Amino acid sequence: MDSARRLGPAQIDVLAQLAVATVLLGGIYALIAVGLTLIFGIMRVVNFAHGEFLMLGMYLAFWAFALYAVDPYVVVLVSIPVFFVVGLVAYVLVMRGVIQASHNVQIFTTVGLSVVLQNVALVAWSGDFRFVRPWHLSTVIRAGATIFNLTQVVAFLIAVALTIALVAFMKWTHAGRVMRATAQDRDAATLMGIDTDRVYRLTFAIGIAAVGAAGVLVAPLYSVYPTAGLQFVLISYVVVVLGGLGDMFGAMLGSFIVALVEVAGSYLFGTAWKEIFYFILFILVLVFRPVGLFGQRGAETLGV
Amino acid sequence: MSQAPLLALEGVTKRFGGLTAVADVSFTVPVGELLGIIGPNGAGKTTLFNVISGYYRADSGRVVFAGQDVVGQPPHAICRLGLTRTFQLVKPFGNLSVVDNVMIGALTRLPTIRAARVEAERVIATCGLAPHAKAHARTLPIGLRKRLEVARALATRPRLLLLDEVMAGLNPTELAAMIELIQHLHGDGLTVIVIEHIMAAMMRLAHRIVVLHHGERIAEGPPAAITQDRRVIDAYLGEEFVLAQA
Amino acid sequence: MIARLRSRPGAVALFGLAALTPLVVRDAYFLDSLVLILLWGALSAAWNVAGGYAGQVSIGHASFFGIGAYAAALMVTRFGQGPWLGMLAGVVLSLGAGFIIGFLSNRLKGPYFALSTIAFAQVLLIGVSRWRGFTAGGEGIPVPFRPGFATLGLGHVGWVYMALAAALLCYGVEVYLERSRIGYRLAGVREDEDAAEALGIPTRRLKVFAVALSAALTSVCGSLWAQYIGFVDPTYVFSVDLSVRFALNAIIGGMGTALGPYLGSILITSLETYLRATFSGVKTGFAGIYLIIYGTALIVVVRFAPGGLAGVASRLRARRAQA
Repeated sequence: MDSARRLGPAQIDVLAQLAVATVLLGGIYALIAVGLTLIFGIMRVVNFAHGEFLMLGMYLAFWAFALYAVDPYVVVLVSIPVFFVVGLVAYVLVMRGVIQASHNVQIFTTVGLSVVLQNVALVAWSGDFRFVRPWHLSTVIRAGATIFNLTQVVAFLIAVALTIALVAFMKWTHAGRVMRATAQDRDAATLMGIDTDRVYRLTFAIGIAAVGAAGVLVAPLYSVYPTAGLQFVLISYVVVVLGGLGDMFGAMLGSFIVALVEVAGSYLFGTAWKEIFYFILFILVLVFRPVGLFGQRGAETLGV
Repeated sequence: MSQAPLLALEGVTKRFGGLTAVADVSFTVPVGELLGIIGPNGAGKTTLFNVISGYYRADSGRVVFAGQDVVGQPPHAICRLGLTRTFQLVKPFGNLSVVDNVMIGALTRLPTIRAARVEAERVIATCGLAPHAKAHARTLPIGLRKRLEVARALATRPRLLLLDEVMAGLNPTELAAMIELIQHLHGDGLTVIVIEHIMAAMMRLAHRIVVLHHGERIAEGPPAAITQDRRVIDAYLGEEFVLAQA
Repeated sequence: MIARLRSRPGAVALFGLAALTPLVVRDAYFLDSLVLILLWGALSAAWNVAGGYAGQVSIGHASFFGIGAYAAALMVTRFGQGPWLGMLAGVVLSLGAGFIIGFLSNRLKGPYFALSTIAFAQVLLIGVSRWRGFTAGGEGIPVPFRPGFATLGLGHVGWVYMALAAALLCYGVEVYLERSRIGYRLAGVREDEDAAEALGIPTRRLKVFAVALSAALTSVCGSLWAQYIGFVDPTYVFSVDLSVRFALNAIIGGMGTALGPYLGSILITSLETYLRATFSGVKTGFAGIYLIIYGTALIVVVRFAPGGLAGVASRLRARRAQA
């Protein structure tokens, strides 16, 4: 083996750095994806506007920081109830009519919503790229030979905490059980007296709260602009499809896989090309295993 | 001279994961027969139709239609060979008119729209749908939808027609009319296989009946023999049926 | 022929009016709007072949548009050939891309398929943006104007007729699908694939055919557009917004009807032109407001008036016939 490629100390450092970067990134993608897979799995709706709610979260962080100098990690606590309400409103106004409707209606309603939200942001706040630069963005942490900044770490920790909270909610609360039952069999749930409309409302609100909070968390790490949601929504769909619809653990695992692809691809081929990898991954997954690593085969052709 | 059977199933098996939906089923259908298939829900009747018509691929065994093993062929190719099936839950082309629905069937064999329209109108008349020719399929009640399902299949000029529970949901008048239609089509030389739960209709129509239970063929023979078969009574018909016949 | 024309009075009126306009109107701005209405109409009609007639709703048709635009632009700037050759190259490449998307349409349904088309367009966008050596990357390609038909260097009047030709081509394909054997069978595929298979229709093959045809038509319009606008920018020609626009016109006007995309284009493009004139000073403000309106229109129409303008018109006609 070529001596330059042996696993010497320098190479191990690089691997360690990539591994840490993957984990940090994956944690954030997980928070976005978990909310999306819930919506997908329970409501059986593909929400093309998911990324726009993330974008709104980013703007919330920006304005809070720019106008009131409030740190994003404080804002995130506020963002959860705020986006919960936003989710409720969006459900009642837009999503409710879409659930039982044809695929076309679903697609174009949520695409229309996406366009509306993007452009409300554009009109209200202009297309200029904004930046959120709290003090911890420039604080560097070293562990061994790996380097990362404090912002990434805190974002990761909060994302993980929220994701765990969400999983716990789904597993151990009555509401969570009801939601999971509805996901498994909508008709049976109705026959059991479950008010599916309330379940969907709650599901959507939770999903949007999660993605809004995620937006606040990533605001310092990326630029903020009206179409910022697009790249995230596509990533999150790759994650959700990879992990299987409605499968929260699949979503988490998928997040780390996608993060790995992005980090490794970025390292090997340069950051300019990194985005192309998860799209190719996406198309490959859709073609060869559309139900994801753990999902039920055939779900995608059953019109799930 | 004995003719080769139009359809021959040889040891057909279909599994879904751990479940064997169709287990080593064999029977033949000679040209011109009207065969009935009965059995409780979950016996594998519709699965069998799906296997025969190419929607599922048999895991083992052969499906020989007109001398050709059609296992692995797509449904449209099997239709072109002369085998057409209908669906238990009818699938009309809802946004199209009755005429258009049947025309699409006719276009399987006919090269032009004009020829297809003529054929469609003929089939529509045969099936008693003429008053509704221009209606959109989605506006039709279930009885007429079932008729449309049959008419559309008929327009493909099949040699073998597979009817999957065409009687379900019909009122007595519609039922009688459907039985008459099937008898008429059969009388014109069409070979038919009918899945049915309505035993009264089955008794009137079928020359022979195959009984499925848990995916296996448990009995086969003329209606009179089947209704007295102990296994069939236990599995499906029930004592009350026997008492009612007496 | 005359009988055929009489059966489609709307189309005759529309295209006839478009043909006559340059004889009467000389205002460059007005003619420019007309060109855009016709081109957008043609693009939406091309989308409609896959989306409305075959039932394969794609939100990634910008892939084919961009391929056509780049093929034309590169053929001129890089290879020194004419844009017509570029258009041909674009069609060939788009057919290839169309086969890939058609393949995806056989594996994926509804929203999954739509997602995959978005991803495909994004792959092209990123690929083209990064391939600086060949495509000039993110800077885009300015397309030179050389007067003459062979170089598609036309005046405003010339472009009206060029756009009209494209519009008639796409309209013609739609009409063909409405009255041909292949079109009827495609309608069956759209309505219920399983039932269509049972009737002997090769559904997979037909879907690929429809998508490939749609791709080729979109590419042709993309090539024309590149020459007309004079600049090809990857972040625009492969954008999701553009893909949505193609679908939007068809939905507003009536998906699955031949004239619908053109009706939708008239409405939407006129609206855009009007707003651009009104808000000409505030660049960002205009763009945003117009898009908010069209996003809302999309939501409302698809929920409450799924037949679009054409659907409303036919319902009114039916009511008048009853009265």
